[in-house]
Amino acid sequence: MSSALLIEDLVKRFATGKAAVDGVNFDVPAGEIVVLLGPSGCGKTTTLRCVAGLEHPTAGRISIGGRVVSEPERGVLVSPRERDIGMVFQSYAVWPHMTVHQNVAYPLKHRRNGGGDISAKVRDTLELVGLGDYAERSVTSLSGGQMQRVALARSLVYRPQLLLLDEPLSNLDAKLRVRLRDELRRILKQTGMTGLYVTHDQSEAVVLGDRIGVMREGKLLQMAPPAEIYNRPADSFVANFTGASNVLLGKVLERKGEHATIDLGAAGRIEAWTPQQLSPGDKARVALRAENVRLGERGPANAFSGRVIERRYQGMQTVYDVEFGGQRLEVLELGTAARHTTDGEIALTLPPDQCWAYRDEGQTAAD
Amino acid sequence: MTATSVEALPAVTEVRRPSRRLAAPLWVTALLLILTFLVIYPLLMLVFGAVSDSNPVIDGFGKFNPSLTHFIAVLGNENVRLAFFNALMACGGGTILAVVIGLAFSWIVVRTNTPFKGFIAGASMIPLFVPPLVAGVAWSILGSPKTGLLNTALKWMGIDFRFDFYSMSGLILVFGFYYAPYVYMFTASALRNMDPSLEEASEVSGASAFTTIFTVTFPLIAPAILAGSLLSFVVMLGIYGVPAALGAPANISVLTTYIFKLTAWSPPLYNTAAAVAILLMFVTAILVWAQQRVLSGRSFATVAGKAFRPRSLNLGPWRWFTFSLALVYLFVVVVLPTIALVIAAFRRFLFFKDFDAVFDMKAYSWVHFNSIFDNPLTMMSIWNTMKVGFITAVIGGLLAFAIGYTINRTHVAGRKSIDLLSTIPVAIPGLVVGVAYLWAWIGLPGGLYGTIWILALAFVARFIPDTVKALSTSFMQIHKELEEAAWVCGRGLLGTIWTIMLPLARPGIVASMTLLFVLAVRELGSSLFLYTSDTTVMAVLLLDYYEGGNIGKTAAFSLVQTVILVVLLGFTTWLSRGAAEGAGRAG
Repeated sequence: MSSALLIEDLVKRFATGKAAVDGVNFDVPAGEIVVLLGPSGCGKTTTLRCVAGLEHPTAGRISIGGRVVSEPERGVLVSPRERDIGMVFQSYAVWPHMTVHQNVAYPLKHRRNGGGDISAKVRDTLELVGLGDYAERSVTSLSGGQMQRVALARSLVYRPQLLLLDEPLSNLDAKLRVRLRDELRRILKQTGMTGLYVTHDQSEAVVLGDRIGVMREGKLLQMAPPAEIYNRPADSFVANFTGASNVLLGKVLERKGEHATIDLGAAGRIEAWTPQQLSPGDKARVALRAENVRLGERGPANAFSGRVIERRYQGMQTVYDVEFGGQRLEVLELGTAARHTTDGEIALTLPPDQCWAYRDEGQTAAD
Repeated sequence: MTATSVEALPAVTEVRRPSRRLAAPLWVTALLLILTFLVIYPLLMLVFGAVSDSNPVIDGFGKFNPSLTHFIAVLGNENVRLAFFNALMACGGGTILAVVIGLAFSWIVVRTNTPFKGFIAGASMIPLFVPPLVAGVAWSILGSPKTGLLNTALKWMGIDFRFDFYSMSGLILVFGFYYAPYVYMFTASALRNMDPSLEEASEVSGASAFTTIFTVTFPLIAPAILAGSLLSFVVMLGIYGVPAALGAPANISVLTTYIFKLTAWSPPLYNTAAAVAILLMFVTAILVWAQQRVLSGRSFATVAGKAFRPRSLNLGPWRWFTFSLALVYLFVVVVLPTIALVIAAFRRFLFFKDFDAVFDMKAYSWVHFNSIFDNPLTMMSIWNTMKVGFITAVIGGLLAFAIGYTINRTHVAGRKSIDLLSTIPVAIPGLVVGVAYLWAWIGLPGGLYGTIWILALAFVARFIPDTVKALSTSFMQIHKELEEAAWVCGRGLLGTIWTIMLPLARPGIVASMTLLFVLAVRELGSSLFLYTSDTTVMAVLLLDYYEGGNIGKTAAFSLVQTVILVVLLGFTTWLSRGAAEGAGRAG
């Protein structure tokens, strides 16, 4: 069983500009896979590289398996090779001057307690990643997907305490990415590996992560299981980043526990779930996903009537631009048939449980 | 309506075709003829010289007795073999040293946090601009076994050790120090283009920084190391100045100095010189071919189209050690030789009673400068050099533009042959070009021999591959569609070249021409065989001073040359920068 990773108040400041990682806290219990998700430049890769020891943190503590590997305040900095970690790089980083076997055997040869039966270990690991027959091939003759398997085998072969994966699938084409993603989950779970995985791709995050941490501008906004990230986003950025692209602006009328009533002006009132301490009179933004709007239905709550302004048929789905009471919504209807037209009034229902209200912090929070 | 346009079209093309049809072949033929005249004819004459025993000066070309026996006899000659092995040893040893220095420097500059890296990177290229003979002269002043300044200093310090740069090891040291930048250029760019995660993966795998360098980093840039060392070997092989200054006093001949010795014989052994020149060319051609093969092979280290964050290793306090290594190198290749030249040029006599005598100001004067400028040859050689440089730059620049445009931007038949012919001189050392031009023109009365034009044409031929390559790079940066847009607008081919290509490629053209000028000013190897007393150039006159044995005048003239080169380089840098800005405004 592998051990856990604990990160406390991690800060990384580069020579110029503001902190790339700004007070991040989280832990990864043994055997769990945590995915850091966020747009480029959010600090997720820097966090990962700090854990690997390839970047030197400015402050905070990183412990792997109960051992502190980095704590600048006390002058602790363990080099990458002493951290007992494995890492899979975005560019694969397989060594082109070595064969598949030599690549995978390399860590065993250069680790203090790596030894043992090297070729047996290499064979087993190549078998695990599905490259059993490729051991003597030159890595330059492999496809991108196969190279990434070699990289994975190389980082698994010595059974490190912690496996770090830095956007390992982003250089592959779409089809292969989906296949390797599912296989990666199988391999990681089969080996019981503790993993920290960095990606900007939501579908990877959802499939691979036991928990997902959404990052933005160096801060960890929410760390929760995938279903919670998608259904109870803690923050308007998380909601927006995971696909809740509709935003309705209004004012808070009242709040009862996790439920708030928002005045949308001409459109009327809307009931919404909220994770924040909103007070009556606060400016609020209500986020909801395009596919959660029920068009042509009049439900018990949050029912409105509006007009379809534009219809965009996309084959597998249809997108409608809907206007109601001065607010605009994008509505997504799945299926190959478009059922609504652009003429006349149409009923729409915004299920209160799927409308999430957040404090309106101006334009910056929305992008 | 459609009917009229269909009828109209053939008529138009019918009118334009005849002239078009002739223009391209005429153009290609003209270029091929020029290149044949510049490159092929002299080479053929060189081969002719090597396989015959007729003296072109006395016999003209009437008496031609071709026979391979002469060529074979030359190859079997004891002295030729000795010169050949000396050359291999000096260049081989020099290359090994150059690889060590070049690799160390590229690693220091690209991969560590050594302070003032930019300065180190820039300054370490200085040796490329030092004319080989000037370097040789400086080191003979420093390291001659009896009177060398280094040995005077050692004696003063009471150390028994003495340097002797008039030796094979002296040659190897100077070669290695001055041609390390060739290796550096290749390895530094390979390191820069290398995905840093290849090294990080090794570190995460548990390998130490030291293991990583030798199992991952160096193997990955092996092609660049090989290409750089082959290039530096080829360059050293063709150098005349360093072995002339350091080898001659110890009677060590390499191929280049041996060839010149043959033509300076009385009577001159032109046939033997041609045969040895062909041997030198053959070795060079094989190495150049090998280098091109290595370069065209798939490079391990680069991943196309990806920018990497430069990875710099934190050396801690050791970064001052790497910094001081760099300083020592710069001290040895730049500062020490400069000091030596300055002392030798300004001292009446280069003899020191003891070390304190170095600071005896009464011993210094302008006497050597006065005496070289009293010599009318000095001003004439400077003037000649400028003329030759100017002619070379203009003719070479125009020819390279014509060739580069034809190769890169047109689809005319025969452009492959133009490409091939203009690349051949890459494999011909300057000295061989000199011997070939000698053979090509010495027997023709009233021809080019004895004029400065033969020097300029030899330089054009020698440097045409570099110039075409430099220009082609700037052509590639100009998108084909910019030209096509002008054609669509109704401009003809020449109009397009004039209004689009020339203005956009101007920085490249100015840079290539100025490069040609500087190369021509520095060139010694090919001038050696082509000058006459009226057409002496600076590099040749410097050799004269050196061989005349007057160290003071030699050092003084070395300084004059260096100053002229520095001023020229500064001026040309300023000029190409200005041109680049001008183009920036125009674009």
